[in-house]
Amino acid sequence: MMHILNKKKLNQILTGWSTKYDIYAPQKVEDYSQFLPLGTADELALNEPHNTRFPPKSFFLPQSETLLKYDHRLKQLKEVVITPKPRIIFGIRPCDAYAVKLLDTVFDTAEYTDPYWKAKRNATLLIGMGCNDPCQTCFCTTVGHGPFNHDGLDALLTECQDNYFIETFTEKGNKLFSDLPAATKDQQRQVQEMQKKAAKSMQPAFDTTNLKQNLNQSFDSKYWAAISESCLGCGICTFLCPTCFCFDIVDEVQRNERIRNWDTCMFRIYSLEASGHNPRPTRKERTRQRIMHKYSYWIDHAGEIGCTGCGRCIRNCPVGLDIRAMLRAVNTFESETVNA
Amino acid sequence: MSETIVKLKTEIERLLNEDVIDVVIAFKQEDSPLRPQPAFFRNVAELEVLEYNSLCQNNLANYLTRFPQDTRIGIVVRGCESRSVNALIVEKQHQRENLYLIGIPCHGIVDIKKIFKKTGEEVTDYSENQDEVTVIVNGKEITFSRKELLHDSCLRCIHPNPVDADILLGDPLPEGDPNIARQEVESIEAMSRDERYAWFRHEAERCIRCYACREACPMCYCTECFVDHTAPRWTESDVSQAGMQAWHIIRAFHQTGRCTSCGACERACPMDIKLTYLTEKLNKDMRELYEFEAGLDSETQPPFASFNLDDKKRFIV
Repeated sequence: MMHILNKKKLNQILTGWSTKYDIYAPQKVEDYSQFLPLGTADELALNEPHNTRFPPKSFFLPQSETLLKYDHRLKQLKEVVITPKPRIIFGIRPCDAYAVKLLDTVFDTAEYTDPYWKAKRNATLLIGMGCNDPCQTCFCTTVGHGPFNHDGLDALLTECQDNYFIETFTEKGNKLFSDLPAATKDQQRQVQEMQKKAAKSMQPAFDTTNLKQNLNQSFDSKYWAAISESCLGCGICTFLCPTCFCFDIVDEVQRNERIRNWDTCMFRIYSLEASGHNPRPTRKERTRQRIMHKYSYWIDHAGEIGCTGCGRCIRNCPVGLDIRAMLRAVNTFESETVNA
Repeated sequence: MSETIVKLKTEIERLLNEDVIDVVIAFKQEDSPLRPQPAFFRNVAELEVLEYNSLCQNNLANYLTRFPQDTRIGIVVRGCESRSVNALIVEKQHQRENLYLIGIPCHGIVDIKKIFKKTGEEVTDYSENQDEVTVIVNGKEITFSRKELLHDSCLRCIHPNPVDADILLGDPLPEGDPNIARQEVESIEAMSRDERYAWFRHEAERCIRCYACREACPMCYCTECFVDHTAPRWTESDVSQAGMQAWHIIRAFHQTGRCTSCGACERACPMDIKLTYLTEKLNKDMRELYEFEAGLDSETQPPFASFNLDDKKRFIV
């Protein structure tokens, strides 16, 4: 069933939830939007043309997280038990929600469960906001998703004139909106048309048919040195990526804490070994790793591409590198030099 | 194609054809008219994508230290870039005789974020002249005066002309006003201590430690940055208050007498953090206390890198 909510009543419904849940929603910080606890900023930034600059993966995998506390002199160890209050992430874009679901294949598997991830995941509802006007830098449809995909979401809002139309996909999501009136058949049709139109407006950014194969064949190619020549080697593309999950565990001895920090394959020290040897000594190997991981190794490990097409790496690269162009190049590169 | 690009292309073609240099560091435009990229030209056929406009936001001197010292490099230098090149030569990071400096007097870098703030991000085309910038948004043409879009660092620029060049493309521009350059730092100096700390915290604590500021800076070329040093570690590793504040302060202090005020750090920052107010303060101190400005020539050592028994200001020894 599709519910209807007048935009003017949004605040009322959010306030209603806030007795039971901590609510986070995109709000303006400087000139970008960021998920913040509701009520701390002046206004919701739900009409930003694209998603928040900082990825919502941080709700489940914070950039820095204390795993253990200890006293090394007393030889005492204290586990950090996470008991998050139930919370709602409101206004998350479909690409970011799907990214969280993808990360479940890393942090919550049959073999291994990360208790820190799991506790926060169980306590969180994801209420999505579909994208009526996908950006030029968005490419979700190219990697198999879409501006109104609901995979990973508890509910999805579609903005249409003065109203939000709400589809729910889980029991918990349904409960949040069950008091709202149902949309008419005409309205439902109108919403579905809008959703289709948005998806249709997005041109394919690159061909994924043989991409994995092409990437694997180009592992030793000169191409990587050329494509990475202007790369600064900073961590923007990976830190802002909603699916990058690499981390480093560090003992902050002065604070008696064991911390997990985000790490990135784009940093030299990421792959530096204790012996001093670095198997990825230059930006060439590191750039290759980033691309190969997203579009080849993810397929090995999860059966699908590890990119949801959010476009953050494109919008925020300080030297204008565009992952779509890199992948188009990989596809053409194969046909030129496969026998070279 | 602007007159500057035509001249630039002709000059680069000559350099490559006559085997004057091995590689030219300039800009190209391939994927989006809004995001020119640093480019490395090694043969004439590649020059089709050559670009030069005010959206070329990187400091190309940043790439010099990636090449062996005997590589003959041609490099496009605007005012700040030429001073960065000088500062690197002073620090023996490349040899002047192996560099060919293609100087361009600079009208200032247009801050893409300032455009987006006015128009939203769906800009499909960009063009400019000396006074105006025109963008196409949703099929509509919008024109701005260039000055309202310039990056803050460029509004403060004192030396828009290359201080050294083997060829200069374009006529030299008038120097900037040092009084305007000082204004931001002076306004921060005028704050109370608490206000200053609040300002610093607001900026430093949005940091995500991606180190784009470091990687975009020509003078940050250490093989191992202090934050990457693990035994012993010099700062907290995480995004704690202390860790982020330490990064911001120490990064800036390492630039004392070396920063050329190009603002590449600030333009690279994904979190819109103001970074140059720290280095500008140090630059101001360097000018006032030591009458020194980084990169004005390729010989004078920065005050903190030199030692002289006749030093008048003997406050250290």
